[in-house]
Amino acid sequence: MRITKRALVPLGLVAAASVALAGCVSSGGSDDAGGTVTYWGAFYAPTTEEAFQEIFVDGFNAENDTQVDMEVKELTTLGQLTDTAVAAGESPDIVYADGPSAASDFARADRTVDLGGYAEEYGWQDAFLPWAYELSTIDGSMRSVPASYGSMVLYYNAAVFEEHGWTPPTTLEEFEQVAQEADDAGMVPLGGGNAGYQGMSEWLITAVFNAAVGPEKIHDVLTGEAEFTDPEFVAAIELVESWIDKGWLAGGAESYFTTDDTANVTGLANGTTAMYLSGTWSFNSLTEVFEDPEQWAWAPLPSLSDDVEPGVFPLAIGTQLSVSADAEDPDAAAAFLDYVAGDVDRALEYTARTGENPPPLQMSADQFPDEVDERTVDLYSQIPETTNVGYATWTFFPPKTDSYLITEFDKVVTGDSTAQEYLAGMQDTFDKEFDAGTTLVPFSPQSEG
Amino acid sequence: MTTETATTGASLAGAPVRRGPRPALRGRPLGARRLRRLLAWVFVTPLLVVNLLVVTGPGLASVYYSFTDWDGLNAPGFVGLANYAEMLRSDAVGTALVHNVLWTLFFLVVPMTMGLVGAFLLSRLRRNQAFFRVLYFVPYVLATVVSAAVWRQLLDPDGGVAAALSTLGLPFLDPLADVNFLGNPSLALGSVAFVNTWQWWGFLLVIFLASMQSVDPALYEAVRLDGAGPVREFWHITLPMIRPTLVFLGLMTIIWSFLVFDYVYVLTQGGPAGSTDVLSTVLYREAFQNQRHGYASAVAMLLSVISAATVLGYLALRRRLRWDV
Repeated sequence: MRITKRALVPLGLVAAASVALAGCVSSGGSDDAGGTVTYWGAFYAPTTEEAFQEIFVDGFNAENDTQVDMEVKELTTLGQLTDTAVAAGESPDIVYADGPSAASDFARADRTVDLGGYAEEYGWQDAFLPWAYELSTIDGSMRSVPASYGSMVLYYNAAVFEEHGWTPPTTLEEFEQVAQEADDAGMVPLGGGNAGYQGMSEWLITAVFNAAVGPEKIHDVLTGEAEFTDPEFVAAIELVESWIDKGWLAGGAESYFTTDDTANVTGLANGTTAMYLSGTWSFNSLTEVFEDPEQWAWAPLPSLSDDVEPGVFPLAIGTQLSVSADAEDPDAAAAFLDYVAGDVDRALEYTARTGENPPPLQMSADQFPDEVDERTVDLYSQIPETTNVGYATWTFFPPKTDSYLITEFDKVVTGDSTAQEYLAGMQDTFDKEFDAGTTLVPFSPQSEG
Repeated sequence: MTTETATTGASLAGAPVRRGPRPALRGRPLGARRLRRLLAWVFVTPLLVVNLLVVTGPGLASVYYSFTDWDGLNAPGFVGLANYAEMLRSDAVGTALVHNVLWTLFFLVVPMTMGLVGAFLLSRLRRNQAFFRVLYFVPYVLATVVSAAVWRQLLDPDGGVAAALSTLGLPFLDPLADVNFLGNPSLALGSVAFVNTWQWWGFLLVIFLASMQSVDPALYEAVRLDGAGPVREFWHITLPMIRPTLVFLGLMTIIWSFLVFDYVYVLTQGGPAGSTDVLSTVLYREAFQNQRHGYASAVAMLLSVISAATVLGYLALRRRLRWDV
């Protein structure tokens, strides 16, 4: 084909404009040169954002030449935003992940830097709780930093419990007795649901797996020595099915899909919901929603089978931070990670101001400032002292298994899947990830806290 | 060489035939014509570039990724037709496709009929027509998330419309107390479609009304002289005269119905248990929750094929039926 000058003119124009536009795109990111660390933050409330900005960002910027530039994102979509940005090679310097599994995926794909040298420099191995440190490593080298941790607990309204003469249940029998009496009193016995955020389903499953199946069995599954289709897991899911059939969970199957976290917390506050299995991240929202903030209370999970000791704490890391492989100043980025997650006093100052969960650092009750709510101090004092700790699904389960666990649970609620079918699919999904070597090694049960 | 000789050829019969510029340009200097052509390219180039960067390029990339196991992080590995084979076996995709078809049929019938009838009735109004036009169009300019959030409250089983109606003391409304529009798998898809219709039909009405107002009034006068009533006016004059608009909106309704995502995602995220899943929510879940970008690209290809088939079918019909649109 003969190329004429006439044909070349438009082609040249298209090429020139493409180059110009590409230049515009890339120039947007190159302004970071000159000592800036970019960070995407997401917060429950404006006051939380303000506290983070003052304590961590402004504090770090005042002490360092390199400046942290924080961009605020939507809390519920931060994970997906980051995933997309990492895939496109456009992530901020500090890479957020909603748990160690996602962070390890970034690390295995070499999208984040090896933090082994920084771990030594900042003494992270000694600073963090052993289980959290181990989860943050790949082949013995630290690849991410845990920035907050908590557990699943049972929430209740102390005034309502007192009025009905209930005490926080510790066994399945006690749990079902309270639930039955709450049902008889016209209350929703157990809050739950997944409206607005489908991931709420795994809060329930985490609680039930740990309290009904037990940490040891979960550990065996995660290490390939047992299967989700074993009778203990089937019994746990069937237990949930029985709650749904009785209308105890969220008021029934249909309500499950139209009840969100706010409705559950509000239900506890106004006495229409008796109990709610949720994470310790709810501490701050409970304080805001309850008319008398002193009335909300938490208790360790009851045992939901004879084989599990009452009071298990499923450990969960909700925020795991890494340094992008494309960061222009990884030293400064790592320094900011240490500033956010590596200092007990600073972390607890943030907890005191916001109610947010602290990082899994070695800390004792006397280190908590007086301003920290005593219920928070109580929790973070109990966890290090107990050996009855378990595994939150979003922290210890590989990503695809975790996604299956959430999305397919709908069918259990509607009755379209039996417990056996649901768990068989979960095992099938887990097998693929286990065989691919992308699962995390969990700590040994009865050994950590 | 002058412009004349450069642009003029000869027919087989030997008579000169003009094949060059239009007469309006005759006699203009060469530079002016080139400048004009150059200017045209200058205007169209940004659009071409944007199209290349955000439509054609990603589109071609999706074709490539649909044959890979790309997870968004690691290098994509070629898997041949495995994604397509899995997609064809997938219950989730099959269910979502059925929902898309039902959605399309619903939107071809209900909002289109509402828009047509509403526009026809509105066209007969002599006063306050602008008021109603704005009133019906307002939902269309509301942000999807806002209107979806409002409707989620209105459809709430405890504090919504149904619950309020059931407390009026009218026995036939009592059953509404137990209705959960978005939580019941049998009602959820229809409920989401209803909410989307609330937003959409006003847009159709305004477009149909604009089209009806361009119909020659003499045609209506003629048919009235022949004794036709409003129904026959609508059937024999309005409908044939706005057929281009009707066919175009029908075509776009089909395409948009297969691309529907926003209301479904905001109201139900495809639940309960996949009862409101459509292809785009399956695609989104696979790409951004399960990190299966390769498989999601294959689902995207299915959507593209359906849209392309719709357009080609429309073009074929237009040719066969000699439609003037």
